[in-house]
Amino acid sequence: MEYDENGVSIVPSEFKKEIFEEARKDFRYEEYVRGCLNCGVCTGGCPPHRFFDFSPRIVLQNMKSKDPELIWTMMDEYIWACFQCFTCAMICPFLNSPGGIIAVLREIAVRRGFESAKKVLKPYSRVLLKLTAYGNQLSPDMIQPDFFPDWGPHIGYASTDLAVKRKAIPMPTLQVTNLAWDVAPETMKELYDIFDEAGVFKIIESVDPSLYEIIQDIVDDVRSS
Amino acid sequence: MAENILVIGGGPAGLNAAVMLSELGVNVALVERDSFLGGNPKKFKYKFLFPDMQPADNVIGELIKKAEAGGSIKVYYSSEVSDFKENGKKFDVTLKSADGSETKTFDSVIVATGFEHFDPARDAKYSYQLFDDVIDIKDLERMMGENNFVRPSNGKPPKKVAFILCVGSRDRHVGNQYCSRVCCTVSVKQAIEMREHFPDCEAYIFYMDIRTYGFFEDLYWQAMEEHDVQIVKGRIAEITSGPDNTVICKGEDTLLRGPFEIPFDMVVLASGMEGGPQSPEMSSKLGIELDEHGFLKPENITLSPFKSSKAGIFLAGACTGPKAISDSITEGAAAAMNAYTYAVKNR
Repeated sequence: MEYDENGVSIVPSEFKKEIFEEARKDFRYEEYVRGCLNCGVCTGGCPPHRFFDFSPRIVLQNMKSKDPELIWTMMDEYIWACFQCFTCAMICPFLNSPGGIIAVLREIAVRRGFESAKKVLKPYSRVLLKLTAYGNQLSPDMIQPDFFPDWGPHIGYASTDLAVKRKAIPMPTLQVTNLAWDVAPETMKELYDIFDEAGVFKIIESVDPSLYEIIQDIVDDVRSS
Repeated sequence: MAENILVIGGGPAGLNAAVMLSELGVNVALVERDSFLGGNPKKFKYKFLFPDMQPADNVIGELIKKAEAGGSIKVYYSSEVSDFKENGKKFDVTLKSADGSETKTFDSVIVATGFEHFDPARDAKYSYQLFDDVIDIKDLERMMGENNFVRPSNGKPPKKVAFILCVGSRDRHVGNQYCSRVCCTVSVKQAIEMREHFPDCEAYIFYMDIRTYGFFEDLYWQAMEEHDVQIVKGRIAEITSGPDNTVICKGEDTLLRGPFEIPFDMVVLASGMEGGPQSPEMSSKLGIELDEHGFLKPENITLSPFKSSKAGIFLAGACTGPKAISDSITEGAAAAMNAYTYAVKNR
């Protein structure tokens, strides 16, 4: 990679063009990017717009410009500010979907293992682990006051005596605390086949190699059982 | 023997068509669904008309007076076309009212069934009917017409009013992709009217584009230069309730402020025009084509905008698309000329 005098990497314009072409060739592009007259409804209704320098209108306008430079500037931080709530798509009078086109750009960033994707996904490695290894997301033992202060004042109580509290729910598959529910090995094996086919494991390998190793150990164990 | 021509709809277009035909000595049957003539301008008590702010009564009242003066116009109030059959080049039509029905043969037909105001309650983001102080263009016109411009919530005069353009127009979510043409000018007119009569009340207009086309542009410059109306680029994303009995408009000022949440005493929605249920009804009863926007389709939009897809049936006014009262009156005359020519040719 080339660097300028300040040590900042220089991304060749050919590469930026390639990224834009990849987005444009996505089958969802035509559906998500339509006309836009800068009415600002999307940004007016956008929740993250209240907190960050982020505007779905700018995302759409950048896409409509077909300027690879403008689109490249969003790949680092901009696209990761979106909450993916799709309020913009709900209210756009043209039926554009800025949230949708952001999903397309994020997928490119993840598929290609961009630094921005790695950075953003790092805090989610626990969730990614549970999700890909066991097929469920949050487990009771993940509820800890340190991790979820925003869950309110009762989070401390909620995180204690998990097994006893689970017994109060009379469902055999819910008598576990390290998983959201007890997943049958057959189900997991099917899930791994799907993840293999869809290239999910490959993507994890590119954005978080150490997480990938942990997941592969579990996958191998389950598959050989 | 005089020609017999049927005019369906007693709004500006239908009235002018009927009046012109009667001046030619034609026997006109004017069918009106309401118990009065004048169409939407009368129904919603439009007070002043753009661009010259003349009293609506000068225009609509004048046409009604002429139509009701007797002569060769017979008005069927609270009536409808219940049966419609082609009879060679003529038409056998049954007109029905509470008093009974009557079947007559007409040489030609003019459809002038007009439009309906878009119901803003269909677009939930504007909270119409949820908050008392969110009203629409026709509600304000009626308030002004009745000299009763107060906040519906508490009966007090408002101090800060927002006008929101393109409600129910140019929006694929509500199914109306077209521009309703007159709402920008009407809203600017209303803002000026409000500033003139209630100088203490601030006026804001939120727009995507201001489409005060042609000479109506004068009004919009006048609003800014002489009446201090605030014109902000940004469509409103949401209307919520605020403290002190206010309604908050939330959106993005795409040129200056960025995101905003501004409290208002009252919000006026510039609801657009729709073909209403009458357009498909006419289409199926008379066997004429409907367009993709829900209005009646002219044979050739440029060459013969006043002809329907069927010979002998002519179109006038807002039944073919949103338009100003002056355009409807013009089309009424054009349709009258064409309906008369058709009738004379097939005598």
